[in-house]
Amino acid sequence: MGLHPYLALAAALFSIGLFGVISRRNTIGILLGIELMLNAVNINLVAFARFTGAVAGMVFTVFTISITVAEVALGLAIVILIFRVRHTVIADHLDLLRG
Amino acid sequence: MNDPAPLALAALLLPAASFLILSVAVPLRRSGRPGAGVSILFSAGALASAVSSWALSPPGAWSLRLWDWLPAEGGALASVGVLADAQSTAMLVLVAGVSFLVQVYSLGYLADEPPASLGRYYAYQSLFAFSMMGLVLAPNFLQLFICWELVGLCSYLLIGYWYQRPEAARAAVKAFWITKAGDVGLLIGIVLLWRQAGTFDYIRLLQLADSHLLPLGGLGVITFCLYLGAVGKSAQFPLHVWLPDAMEGPTPVSALIHAATMVTAGVYLLTRTAWLFALTPHVLALIGWVGAFTALLAATLACVQSDIKRVLAYSTVSQLGYMMAAIGAGYESAGFLHLLTHGVFKALLFLGAGAIIHAVGTNDIFAMGGLARRMPQTLVVFLVGTLSLAGIPLFAGFFSKEQVLGAVWFGGLTVPFLMLALAAFLTAFYMFRVIFIVFFGAPAHEAAVHGGAGTGHAHDAPLLMAIPLWILAALSMVIGTGFALSHPRAEFEAPGWITPLAVGAALAGILLAWLTYHRRAIDAEALAAAFAPIRAAALRRFWLDDLFEGIYRAILGLARIIGWIDRYLVDGVVNLLSAWTLQFGDRLRGIQSGLPQDYVYAIALGALLLIVWNQWPR
Amino acid sequence: MSLEPIAFAGLAVVLLASALAVVLTKNLFHSVLYLALTLVGTAGIFLTLDAEFLAAVQVLLYAGGVVTIVVFAIVVTERLVGDRITQTSRHLVSGGVAALALLAVLLVFLRSVPLPATRPAMTGDLTRAIGVAVLTRWVLPFELLGVLFVTGLLGAIYFARPDE
Repeated sequence: MGLHPYLALAAALFSIGLFGVISRRNTIGILLGIELMLNAVNINLVAFARFTGAVAGMVFTVFTISITVAEVALGLAIVILIFRVRHTVIADHLDLLRG
Repeated sequence: MNDPAPLALAALLLPAASFLILSVAVPLRRSGRPGAGVSILFSAGALASAVSSWALSPPGAWSLRLWDWLPAEGGALASVGVLADAQSTAMLVLVAGVSFLVQVYSLGYLADEPPASLGRYYAYQSLFAFSMMGLVLAPNFLQLFICWELVGLCSYLLIGYWYQRPEAARAAVKAFWITKAGDVGLLIGIVLLWRQAGTFDYIRLLQLADSHLLPLGGLGVITFCLYLGAVGKSAQFPLHVWLPDAMEGPTPVSALIHAATMVTAGVYLLTRTAWLFALTPHVLALIGWVGAFTALLAATLACVQSDIKRVLAYSTVSQLGYMMAAIGAGYESAGFLHLLTHGVFKALLFLGAGAIIHAVGTNDIFAMGGLARRMPQTLVVFLVGTLSLAGIPLFAGFFSKEQVLGAVWFGGLTVPFLMLALAAFLTAFYMFRVIFIVFFGAPAHEAAVHGGAGTGHAHDAPLLMAIPLWILAALSMVIGTGFALSHPRAEFEAPGWITPLAVGAALAGILLAWLTYHRRAIDAEALAAAFAPIRAAALRRFWLDDLFEGIYRAILGLARIIGWIDRYLVDGVVNLLSAWTLQFGDRLRGIQSGLPQDYVYAIALGALLLIVWNQWPR
Repeated sequence: MSLEPIAFAGLAVVLLASALAVVLTKNLFHSVLYLALTLVGTAGIFLTLDAEFLAAVQVLLYAGGVVTIVVFAIVVTERLVGDRITQTSRHLVSGGVAALALLAVLLVFLRSVPLPATRPAMTGDLTRAIGVAVLTRWVLPFELLGVLFVTGLLGAIYFARPDE
């Protein structure tokens, strides 16, 4: 079937994830968008690994999935903390970095 | 030892020491009379040194002492020192002598001044003596210029001695400003000369000129620029306007600076560098013409003055014109001789006027009258001075004035000669006008008197003022009779009719004054009406002051325009740029929203652009 | 195999539809559920690529673990209904533009790149190969991963401690 469709699928998934990151107001929603993007990356890795015969791609996918899980956990912990302090999870309100 | 240079140096350094002492030892200066005493003492020492150095300087010999000021390889860039020859030591004696007499006189004249002011006065006097002698003894143009400027500064300080009076302050600034205009020319001339010849030194330049190694191209411009300095300092037309106003200073100051010494610095410069000017005959002719014109113009102006010091001021301008005319004719020794005699009798006249002013309390001659009875001694000395000025035989000015006239005639400047002859007539007229009005008759009106006793109670001068007067009067007589008995041989053979012409013109002037102001045979008003247009112009000082004021205002206006341009255009551009930068920065700041989503968006766009740019089909 | 394109097409539709649902749904809880569906879809893609082990890992960790965590976070922050993305904020338009542009560029780029059209034959058990690779060639990252987990665990405990 070829590698193209898989990569196209991953690209589409990535774009959707990017859209989610940019346009969601809720911080947790942003994290969900990041999840989508990471998934697209994983699909890419596995597809390449399968079509070029290098197993390293799949090993790498294991690693990224694991790290993503840890990152989500800690990200949500931070979101909860921010909620405790500032009583909001809307990203637009968290603009302390404003110049 | 018969080397005049160390003695000249001593004469130069004694007033400097006096100035330093009075500047540094503030309590001494503030105490007034003790400070004055120090200055007078040092001045006496300077006079003694000057006379000794003059005695040791026969004509034709010179003695030089130099110290490197800016040492460099291949010879000093600048040096200072003393150059003592017959001319400079003679001038030195004049400066030291008049300075000493004026300082003694001032002790009496300014007896009512607060001690601190008096100390300041004597400090300035010492500084002036030092700088004038530095100018006289200068061996090169550089020292000359420095002392020239210092002398101008002292003039400013002393004219504005009573600085609380606005007229005095204005007069001081005016003097400084006008002479500065001439000084710019002098500076340019000196620099150009250095560029031409490579040295500032008189002796070296003289050697260059004598051996025809001095390039002549552009020398006319150089000498003209040097002459400009003399025009300013020696009050030639049109830069003579500061001298009458300088009479706002104390009368002894007028006697010293604006009669005998500072104003003659220009004449002295030209005398000293006459060999340079001899190479540019056109400039010399100009000098002669301007000098004669100045003499006539000032004499005319003196005829309409009612302030006794103003009469003497214009008389000084007139006599300076005489000296310059002689130089312009090519016989600078005649001019220099007149400088020396004029220094004596003009100082005498000013000090005499000071005695009158001190006694009566006003400068207005029409508020004085009949002083002959109350101030006989003053009449005598004043008469001696006046006769010298008018050029009557046996008095100091006679021989030198005749020399000047002869030089101008012999030098071929005919029209200037006629102007000078007419000026001689007018000189006698206006001086005797003053004498008849002040010393004889009755006051025309009461004037506001300040400090003096008024005409009714005038008295002869106290001893401190009288002694210098008598010394100067005696000196004038001695010089006059001395010349009558054995006069120096002139460089030219003057025609025989010059002497009778000169004396005749003087006597005619005296006669006219006697008829008009003593006998009242001729009505003064009718006489004035006969020359009404000239008289009106003279009363407006020939509009020269207005011209200078106009120039001054124009320059101020130009300065304001330039200031406006600087503030609004030049600064404006810079301010505009900075404002734009600030605004742009403010707007740019909006990018930093603090929201991570915006930053992700930016990253995505950036990555997009990179990909597109990288993959753009070639 | 002609089954493959059909399977792929079906899974792709499910995947993309659920992904769109994740980013467009107003209700956050619904969003999370759609995310779970997306993750399962991804696992299906892995299966079509003969990566059974990864599909299992994906389902276990992602669809199981991550979704659970996110649900807990949502419950804690009590914002089930929040986003009004129908509100035309600048984020919406700019996000759409950026995403579409990126997609377009990537697709165009992919068209021009030569890529293998057929997959090579499977040589041996893929899972075994992964296991061997992890424990021989890639053992260092594997161990570091363990350190990372411990660190994450400690961090999470620290964050979640009660305020004193």
